[in-house]
Amino acid sequence: MNGQCPPRWAEYLLERMLPARDHETVTGDLHEEYAEFLVPHRGRLRANFWYMRQVSSIAVRCIQEGGAMTKLLSLTSVITLLCGCWLALMECLLRHPGFVSRAAVALLIAAAGLATLLVRLLHAGIRSERRLWAAAAALIALGAYSFLRNAHAAHFEGFVFIISIVLVVQGVLMLATLGRNNDPGRTVAGT
Amino acid sequence: MADLMGSFELAVLLALLRLGDRAYGRAVLHQVQESLGRSVAAGAVYTTLDRLEQRGFVHSRLAAGTAIRGGRMRRYYTVTAEGSRALADAKVTLTNMWRGVKLPAAVKS
Repeated sequence: MNGQCPPRWAEYLLERMLPARDHETVTGDLHEEYAEFLVPHRGRLRANFWYMRQVSSIAVRCIQEGGAMTKLLSLTSVITLLCGCWLALMECLLRHPGFVSRAAVALLIAAAGLATLLVRLLHAGIRSERRLWAAAAALIALGAYSFLRNAHAAHFEGFVFIISIVLVVQGVLMLATLGRNNDPGRTVAGT
Repeated sequence: MADLMGSFELAVLLALLRLGDRAYGRAVLHQVQESLGRSVAAGAVYTTLDRLEQRGFVHSRLAAGTAIRGGRMRRYYTVTAEGSRALADAKVTLTNMWRGVKLPAAVKS
């Protein structure tokens, strides 16, 4: 049976995304389809692709059904993730003096975006709410630090200004949505 | 009530009726795909089933799982009396909407 199991990481991700009510039933259904039909008839590669597509569809629905505030939070997370990656890439390509530390900060910003997205999706699997509050506080602190640092810099960077504002908004939204997402009875639809 | 039901909800409810006491997530997914003639995301089916259950159109129960699914439980769905009424209403509404309508020749298959 081991050879006919979906990718472990995808199954882990799915389990963490789903509310307690659907843990066994939904993962069991997808596992059954994967092992009984997809692998024997379409091969392992296509079966893996199908499984990952199902996990993505459930992730998208979790975000879509989360209400306006969580959608905005997801959007700000994607923005900070992309901006952080872009900044880090540019720093590494241009290689101005001190680029290593700036690239590290940019990667930290990208990590903050990615972490918020994951926290939003995997909330059902995170046990300690205290960690989430700390993460939200860290986002606000990082945003405020970037804002102040940029304000006092010799050359004001509009791009960094936007990212710092987005980071603070992201942290505040995360704080606001924290309590609402902690319902164990939440269904796949996120309601 | 019928006018609030979307075509996908209709497809899921009809799939439950077709499957009878064999209607669990995977079987419903297959049935919906077959009736719509296209690939459907599992997330869409589970979301719709949850919504229908919240509206009282569907009732679910847990049952033991099989070895192929690692012993994980199955959730079986049945259409409630309210769901059946909604389906009947939807059928009447659709029939009324189509009454006297003739498709242009170019659209006919």
